[in-house]
Amino acid sequence: MILPFFGISLILSLLIFLFPNRIIMAAGSILFVILHCLLTVYAYENLGSFDTAYFQFDSLSVLLNALLSILLIPTIFHSNLYFKRHVNDVKNESRFAATMIILSTAISSVYFAENIVVTWVSIEATTLCMTFLIFHNRYETPLEAAWKYLFLSSVGIAIAFLGILILATQATSPEGANLSVSYLASVAPNMDPFFLKTAFVLILTGYSAKLNVFPFYAGTIDAKTVAPSPVNAIFSTAMLNAGFIAIFRVYTVINQTPLNSWAQNVFLVTGLISISLATIQLFRIKRYKRMFAFSSMEHVALILIAFSVGKVGYYAALLHLIFHTLIKGGLFFQFGQVRAFYHSGWIKDTGAYLKLNGTGALAFLLGIISITAIPPSGLFITEYMIFKALFSSGYIATAIAVLIMLTIILYIVISKTMHLLFAELPENFKPEAVFANRFEPVSQFVLFFAVIYMGFNPPPILTELINQTIQLLN
Amino acid sequence: MVIVLIVLFAATLIYFFLSERVANFIWLLSVQGALLFGIAFNNLIHIKTLELIVILLETLIVKAIVIPWFLNRLRHKNQLKRVHESKVPVFYSLILISAVLIGCFLMSYTIDNEVIQLRFFTVALATVIGGMYFIVIHKNIFSHLVGFLIIENGAFLLSLAVGGEMPFLVSLAVLLDVLIAVLVIGVFMNKVKDTFDTISASNLSQLKD
Repeated sequence: MILPFFGISLILSLLIFLFPNRIIMAAGSILFVILHCLLTVYAYENLGSFDTAYFQFDSLSVLLNALLSILLIPTIFHSNLYFKRHVNDVKNESRFAATMIILSTAISSVYFAENIVVTWVSIEATTLCMTFLIFHNRYETPLEAAWKYLFLSSVGIAIAFLGILILATQATSPEGANLSVSYLASVAPNMDPFFLKTAFVLILTGYSAKLNVFPFYAGTIDAKTVAPSPVNAIFSTAMLNAGFIAIFRVYTVINQTPLNSWAQNVFLVTGLISISLATIQLFRIKRYKRMFAFSSMEHVALILIAFSVGKVGYYAALLHLIFHTLIKGGLFFQFGQVRAFYHSGWIKDTGAYLKLNGTGALAFLLGIISITAIPPSGLFITEYMIFKALFSSGYIATAIAVLIMLTIILYIVISKTMHLLFAELPENFKPEAVFANRFEPVSQFVLFFAVIYMGFNPPPILTELINQTIQLLN
Repeated sequence: MVIVLIVLFAATLIYFFLSERVANFIWLLSVQGALLFGIAFNNLIHIKTLELIVILLETLIVKAIVIPWFLNRLRHKNQLKRVHESKVPVFYSLILISAVLIGCFLMSYTIDNEVIQLRFFTVALATVIGGMYFIVIHKNIFSHLVGFLIIENGAFLLSLAVGGEMPFLVSLAVLLDVLIAVLVIGVFMNKVKDTFDTISASNLSQLKD
């Protein structure tokens, strides 16, 4: 199933690219989303089974692919609005849509890959697609961001490859190096601890560009600052999840050895450094998208910290990842509308949004309440679970430090939101230039309310998939 | 024979830090590609023909010919001759890279693993560290690309050190990925030069808050 999916996606992408026409683009994009949803359903139906030697449908990959399928539906709608507002050139639009299809396919490939080299190749493919999407409008700042993202990610990926090679030394079978995750996990107890530790650190460092955490976070933050909102809705969610699953695969290997507590400490250190950097950087924030990018960094840091606690933190971490995906996607969709009103992403150029666009402002406010984990947000439940796990496991100083940083972040994000909603209308605001669509906030309300509902009443299918993922670590 | 090639490879690494001419960087990368082919050919002579062809493609064709040719085009298009803006004097860089080589040599012999071929591992590790250092000390983005390619060469040498023979399709995918990444980075470098009229990384600072 997965190879035909790749093949059809490639054909659709080529058709859209070669025949720049809005009807072909719309039909191709819708067909791709249907295909993607079908892949998710097929993967769920065949949970646990292999698809060729290199791909497997496991619970985490199904979960993350389902999230991508869900996000792709509004992405088509919001991309169309983005084209009308900022592009208006059918060739450029077609290039954008074709690259988006390849990107989504590559992300799904990362999710389902059962071999860490296939994961690596797919991640490299996502980097190239993302670079083109960031730069598709060919302005100066996107070029700078695209260059930094491409270069830092490429160096990161090269470092991750070193880690994979070192892991290969420990995974020699009679047929040569076998780098399938299941084989690596089975031979992990016999691996040399020094090599396993080195490989883990190199892979975590290399993929940190994708996960948006320390040390290679800078290029990603810049890229998110200028990427179009529909791209950011995938970049800050599905792409970030791809980085997470790539590291998760290696963690499942190291988890089979006595080194698992060491790996958890590495997660803790990475998480603490990342959340500290995000807090410091947020003090001088001047653009909304950059604020959201650092917010993603904060949430991934929290997920890593939850993982560092061990079993008691796994459930909360995975649920946090899912909720963050849905909320951040919605927030970027709403920010597309904010940008359409003010024609700027700078905080200083905004104000009086509640007066200008009441429904949009409500969606934005609900999104901010959700992302900052204020009740009734689902993230409040997961953060409560994370702190409960930290306190019950004796990480009291860590928990207090993280709580202080979260409070600071909450203050900064809320104050910037208040500026958008209630500040004076900017002097250069031109009401006649606003292009609004009354259905635009619908997707955000659906996503935010879904998170609120799932926080209090997680569907059995979600709990089942998360528990099965946790089983992979036991 | 192999040991001579490895020593020559280490010498090219040192020469990278001695040189300031862009043409020399490209020539050195090409030499490294050819040396990698020699090392790989000697080391992997027993592997299947198809896999040997991929390695031949990766080293002799891509690393020694295609990438240097592409870099030369970039050099001509952007009129690059010398790189003056290294943040660290050549003398200190030479001492440092020599220390890295000696350090890697000493560290390698503390590793007790029968799978790893230490003669490759020493230089591979020094090359990766050297590539990173090369990126850090240079301000212009062409040199950053050269540093990235040095790291890639180090990674290739490391793959020989660990003797990990990947399946054919996976090797091909890795090769294509690296090639496309280098080409795309090159294309973006051209765009940066056209847009900002410079390839100095210090001029790329519009995104800072």
